[in-house]
Amino acid sequence: MKVNRSDWFVTASALLITLGAAFAVMLVMIFIMSETPGETIYYFFAGPLTNKYYLGNMFNSAIPLILTGLGIAFAFRSSMFNLGGEGQVYAGGLAATAVALPLPAAGAFFGITISLLAAVVTGAVIAGLSGFFKMKWRTDELISSFLISNALIYIVDNFITGPLDDPENNLLVTSKIAEQYWFKKIFLPSNLDISIFFIAIIAVLAFYYLFKTHQGYEMRMCGLNPEFARYGGINVGKYMILPMLWSGAFHGLAGAVAVFGTSHACYKGFSGGMGWNGIAVALIARNNPIAVIPAALFFAYLEAGAKSAMINADVTIEIASIVQSVVFFLITAQAIYNFVKFRRKAV
Amino acid sequence: MESYLSMRNISKTFSSTGLKANDNVNLEVRKGEIHALVGENGAGKTTLMNILYGIEQPDTGTIMLSGKEIMITNPLAANKAGIGMVHQHFKLVNEFTVAQNVVLGTEPMKGAFFFDNRKAEADVAAVIEKNRFHISPEMKISEISVGQMQQVEIIKMLYRKAELLILDEPTSVLTEQEIQRLFKTLRELIKQGKTIIIITHKLAEVKDISDRITVMRKGRVISVKDTADVDESEISRMMVGKSVVFDFDKGVDGCRDAVMSLENVTIKKKRQGRPILDGISFEASTCEIIGITGVAGNGLTELEDVIAGLERISSGRVYHNDQDITNITPKALRDRGLAYVPTDRLKRGSSLETSVKENLILTTHHDFMNSGGVFDEVKINEHSKRLISEYLIDGHADVPIGTLSGGNIQKVILARELEMVKDFVLFSEPTWGLDIASSEFIYEKMLEMRARGVAVILISSNIDEILALADTVIVMYRGRIVAKKASGPELTREVIGEYMLGLKDDYSTDDDCSSDNDHSKNDFKGEDN
Repeated sequence: MKVNRSDWFVTASALLITLGAAFAVMLVMIFIMSETPGETIYYFFAGPLTNKYYLGNMFNSAIPLILTGLGIAFAFRSSMFNLGGEGQVYAGGLAATAVALPLPAAGAFFGITISLLAAVVTGAVIAGLSGFFKMKWRTDELISSFLISNALIYIVDNFITGPLDDPENNLLVTSKIAEQYWFKKIFLPSNLDISIFFIAIIAVLAFYYLFKTHQGYEMRMCGLNPEFARYGGINVGKYMILPMLWSGAFHGLAGAVAVFGTSHACYKGFSGGMGWNGIAVALIARNNPIAVIPAALFFAYLEAGAKSAMINADVTIEIASIVQSVVFFLITAQAIYNFVKFRRKAV
Repeated sequence: MESYLSMRNISKTFSSTGLKANDNVNLEVRKGEIHALVGENGAGKTTLMNILYGIEQPDTGTIMLSGKEIMITNPLAANKAGIGMVHQHFKLVNEFTVAQNVVLGTEPMKGAFFFDNRKAEADVAAVIEKNRFHISPEMKISEISVGQMQQVEIIKMLYRKAELLILDEPTSVLTEQEIQRLFKTLRELIKQGKTIIIITHKLAEVKDISDRITVMRKGRVISVKDTADVDESEISRMMVGKSVVFDFDKGVDGCRDAVMSLENVTIKKKRQGRPILDGISFEASTCEIIGITGVAGNGLTELEDVIAGLERISSGRVYHNDQDITNITPKALRDRGLAYVPTDRLKRGSSLETSVKENLILTTHHDFMNSGGVFDEVKINEHSKRLISEYLIDGHADVPIGTLSGGNIQKVILARELEMVKDFVLFSEPTWGLDIASSEFIYEKMLEMRARGVAVILISSNIDEILALADTVIVMYRGRIVAKKASGPELTREVIGEYMLGLKDDYSTDDDCSSDNDHSKNDFKGEDN
């Protein structure tokens, strides 16, 4: 037990140091870029918490990040790299929309269920393909998932601007889905919707699946040491595909939730960043499904802080991107180091 | 006599495990001697040498070399002080030549940018010449034998002008002949005024090569003696606190039914003329330990993988209880009840970052879930608690297995595998690098399995172990079986040694055709021509 605790302590302190450094960099930048640094810092840190609109939206933007973070964490846990998150989210959103659009008369429960299912299946199939290729031909899933995703983005773009385009406006967006499918808002005037509760439950279930079930065990063993797993009689090929299926499913769901909860239609490029940020979230959370929740909130907080600072003070929105990059950089530098170390040991 | 090296009051506690690896250790080494550092696994020998070589920093204590206190903060500093270490596992670049490996890190340069290969080879040749090694500086590491690799490691240290050489388990990978050659080299080095510290488990070698002995046990120095004053059993007593002789009963006759049998098992790889395994046939039977031995690189590893289902065979058949199981998956083999203690404990036998508890359920985890596929934590905890006490594992169920000592990791593997034994079990190098007490424990378990009627397959390059345990001995040479003999008084170390080195061969190709499956045999002949 002693070992566990000290291990935990090291992890937590490393994380604190990283975050501390990121904030320090941010402060320095604010002092450089802002005429009124005191005000900017206030709006950056306190802004997202001062009114319901900002606060709710912050939580709302964390929702897809929790899902994409879970998707990445699942893949990582099995030593699989899913770099195709962007495309999977995007395609998931489109699939859900495409199913929901022709169904305006159906009951809300039925319609939502089958639309979300479509999104989940779409994401799972796309990511699962990379897992299948790896099992079949030892193709590196890191590259194949990325390439497939990139190609998909153009295909989805084509659907949004072509067959599904809303003829009634000039925006690059599909028609809106029927109103009974919109997720219920729970924190007006913000966009925060009821799905956040379900997503939190999903994160807890994911944790349970990974650490308390037979399949989760086999998956983790394959991730930690594939040779050990094979030696022990675990079907390693299966665990090249299964975690990718899960990963893609989470990503697809993220896209659907973003559409049904917030935009109610597919915009061209609506998924921008959700997939990539999911990687950062999973890394901050050290691939722990429950820790993904605070990690996603933290990421959303940074973004909300930047928006608030931009509106109320004199900095540009880019400062959020810069701070996120710095956090991402610091955290991934460390975490990827660990991951590589551990992957190399395993191989 | 004045000490050349003295390490005083060295203590080292590992924060990760809380293990006191060195507890107020004093080591005195005289100029020009071969000093043997002996002790069981986990006695603290390697830690002490790692401190001397700058890999670890001691918590307390001082190191004096030639009467001057020195600080050794890293291996480079150790090299500068004239200390060189040859590790148990070689650290060589396969694609580089001998000379390039030797000069690595202190390369001679042509101008500011260019590596001077010619000078490197000349310099290394000079060192080889001076110390009478038999190796060419232009050869690539991938072309030379394990014994020669070790020579390269020694040359590397001599090239760096080491005066004090540390050798960690230098003989564990060598053949008898190579050991003799190594010892000759060591004596030669002493003549040139070098000083040598040698870490080893093998008492006969200690007696043979060393001038003085320091015995360590549980992180402390137990005794320092002149080698001439002690005999092997006395050293062994000091190491473990009791005398050990491996003398076990052989299995009972009768009750021999084939459980697993291999027929003409052959593995051929592309671009390789000689098959890696060539027509291997034998039967592993109930109530029997079948011992397979040979020098590394002669097919033992591949045979291990074939029996475990981890390597596909090109031709031949494998049967389990008369059912054809040729090239079935490891999973299918495990489902049939194969228990398997692998050679590579760290990469294959365990998952280092995973807890002892989770390592213990790898092969039986199906038994711990309820109908929904959810684990029964209570049952898993009880299981690990029981095995930890039954197998005398020194470690907690919840810590990562990587924090345990080598012997305890092996016991975890043993516990897991023997828990699932049905009718056959494969042990491969089960005691490699382990201390005597742990080895004995494993031997007892093996005998227990045989008494239960299990077919035991033991692959081991340790002849003593094979002689002590096996009822039937198979010797492999260049991928072929060269001897298959029942154990008995006439089967001695020397006899097996001759087969291992290819000096004798009971199964020359002519005999083979008549006794074995003609059809597949002819295939190989065609391939050879």
